[in-house]
Amino acid sequence: ELIKGQGRGCLLKEIHLNVTDLGLGYQTKEELIFRYCSGPCYDSETNYDKILNNLTQNKKLDKESPSQTCCRPVAFDDDLSFLDDSLEYHTLKKHSAKKCACV
Amino acid sequence: PALAKENNCLNAAKACNLNDTCKKYRSAYISPCTSRVSTAEVCNKRKCHKALRQFFDKVPLRHSYGMLYCSCPPGDQSACSERRRQTIVPACSYEEKDKPNCLALQESCKSNYICRSRLADFFSNCQPEVRSLSGCLKENFADCLLSYSGLIGTVMTPNYLRSPKISVSPFCDCSNSGNSREDCEQFTKFFTDNVCLRNAIQAFGNGTDVSTWHSTAV
Repeated sequence: ELIKGQGRGCLLKEIHLNVTDLGLGYQTKEELIFRYCSGPCYDSETNYDKILNNLTQNKKLDKESPSQTCCRPVAFDDDLSFLDDSLEYHTLKKHSAKKCACV
Repeated sequence: PALAKENNCLNAAKACNLNDTCKKYRSAYISPCTSRVSTAEVCNKRKCHKALRQFFDKVPLRHSYGMLYCSCPPGDQSACSERRRQTIVPACSYEEKDKPNCLALQESCKSNYICRSRLADFFSNCQPEVRSLSGCLKENFADCLLSYSGLIGTVMTPNYLRSPKISVSPFCDCSNSGNSREDCEQFTKFFTDNVCLRNAIQAFGNGTDVSTWHSTAV
């Protein structure tokens, strides 16, 4: 049984990366597990989403195109700390997903 | 050569961040130990010490010891050893504006029940004995390493000194010792020049001490 609001295809995935892969400008050799939300959200579409779809197709909304249901984090992983090459510590917050849902 | 480039302290930090428990408690002490609270203070030392004690309480030893007791090539004074020195965030947990006298620091430790009991454990479990093969009176490296790490987060918090040999010390010295100079030097030598503690740290770093794993398996 599918929990309301949770798309069947929207899942938590993870990838092992170097901190430098994040592209946040840090110089370090440390690593992390980055977790992200990915997958389709068709299953959890509400009437709101169907209406938006129809209105966009029928060109009733002029140039507007409001966002549709997205597979997004609804909770974040614990903070991550690392030491950079100049021996300075950094702590990343809300950098990695813990729980996903179609929102 | 590839072997010389191996940085065990960096490898331990990588392994920690790939383990959810270690990652969580590592950032749980690095945050308070690196957050400036006012223009006068670089951090809240009390919170930093508490979080450090939690880290060594809660994290599996292979990860916490992996970072604290990682081995560096002899003579290495940079990448590996500096990282090992930074493990406890010494700018907050270790250094002070003024260096107190070691006997005065010992007195202030004795007035706190956690510090008093942990210092007593350390003196008992890391007692050197030159005639023993291990260098320890109680031939148990695991107990010595546990009591040493137990001092981290007390006023007696020790750290590695910048020295070619493995040498550690709390943040104090023997200036202004008056007529207790000998007592003070005996106290500091137990940290800086202790064959039992040094052998225990080296055995862990080289992975030659199997007893650590058996007697303190978590």
